[in-house]
Amino acid sequence: MSLINTAPEMALTTKIDDFLNWTRKSSVWYMMFGLACCAIEMMHTGGPRADLDRFGAAPRATPRVSDLIIVSGTLTLKMALRTKVLYDQMPDPKYVISMGSCANCGGLFQLAYSVCDGVDKVIPVDVYVPGCPPRPEALTEGLIKLQEKIQQERWLVRKPTVAANA
Amino acid sequence: MYFQFANVLVFFLLAFVLCGLMLGLGLLLRPSNPHPGKLTTYECGEPPSGNAWINFNIRFYLIALVFVIFEVEIAFIVPVATVFRDWIARGQGAFALAEIALFVAILAVGLVYVWVKGDLEWLKRLPQSRGEPAAEPLRRDAA
Amino acid sequence: MAASDPAAVHAALRSHFGDAVGDLAGTRPDNTATTVAASAIVDVCRFLKTETGLAFDCLSNLSGVDYPKRNVIEVVYHLYSYRYRHLFVLKVDVPRDNPVVPSVAGVWCAAEWQEREVFDLLGVTFEGHPDLRRILMPEDWPGHPLRKDFVEPEEYHGISTSRESLLKT
Repeated sequence: MSLINTAPEMALTTKIDDFLNWTRKSSVWYMMFGLACCAIEMMHTGGPRADLDRFGAAPRATPRVSDLIIVSGTLTLKMALRTKVLYDQMPDPKYVISMGSCANCGGLFQLAYSVCDGVDKVIPVDVYVPGCPPRPEALTEGLIKLQEKIQQERWLVRKPTVAANA
Repeated sequence: MYFQFANVLVFFLLAFVLCGLMLGLGLLLRPSNPHPGKLTTYECGEPPSGNAWINFNIRFYLIALVFVIFEVEIAFIVPVATVFRDWIARGQGAFALAEIALFVAILAVGLVYVWVKGDLEWLKRLPQSRGEPAAEPLRRDAA
Repeated sequence: MAASDPAAVHAALRSHFGDAVGDLAGTRPDNTATTVAASAIVDVCRFLKTETGLAFDCLSNLSGVDYPKRNVIEVVYHLYSYRYRHLFVLKVDVPRDNPVVPSVAGVWCAAEWQEREVFDLLGVTFEGHPDLRRILMPEDWPGHPLRKDFVEPEEYHGISTSRESLLKT
């Protein structure tokens, strides 16, 4: 019943794709997954000065209604299992922003026994935002990069077939 | 006059069409990837434990019931208030007042009953135990 | 209300418990401590809490130290009195291969979670503890991390615990 990836690549369908991607990128509802200090910066990014809501990004508490999960803070091994469960419970299409050094690669606590070195060990990440913690402007740039990524997606248009190696 | 109903019909149709359009577009344009992990019950990442259905305290029901009764009472008093001046002009003001006062008094008796019985208490207490239990069962009067 | 210095507290302990209480070690006020035998620790703590001149009503800290060279694990109790404003430190040495200490959770409620932490990270079993289970590490974590001979497991539930640095050439 779904029309996704069914249409040939024509001017009309690509324009419709642009329109659909514009609507999707302009209302990315993120699930606040604040684990440590980066959570404070994420809260500030959602605050009045560096406003994430002007991009249409509203904070949600549950994975069921969110498009994006911003993993901000140190991921312990104990939490990594739950992160996987929560990521699985998000509906498609879903994206992940890994915010801060700890979520990118374990950061300062990489050698610790209880820390999971990077959230990409459990879930696939779309955008890595470096920093310890990243400034609100940096997280905003991460969201803009994600919006650029969403804009490039093919929604109605068929995905290109992989060209055979010569 | 019947043409006015066409307005209502158009609104109905528009409502159905719009809802159908939005839901239908969603059906056509959304991905569908059900897999077991996605369909689990949400409990903040933990494996779900316990029943999803819990018992609610009965005080909510009691307050709602009392509210409905007195809300209907207000709904009956308001029309009386609107025509009260006309009744006074006709010289029957005292009669109307007595009638509505009797109505309110009957319902006030109900309010006093509910109050004394403790149904308006938000924090309910267990009944006080009366010292040591009786050696023999309490006497019951024959039916 | 006069604050007692550690020597006075130690003298009171010695007069009451005799040999179960070791000598007062350390020179500065912040490192004077008394070693207590593990079997007497609950009575000593109760005495320190309820005695009128001492009144140590606050267990500021309960932690453990692993000394592999002496082959002991030391459980350290930092006590504070809000009434008289004096401090005292108790230490209990237990052998490393079977560390068992009676629990003081009955004397101070704060000891409950702190003893759970010592159990979790060092493996010391506290007898008489109402709810002795891991508090920081996951329930199925192998080993006790703060021991000096702890080896980090290679992976946990399929997540590997090491990360290759991208800077290596």
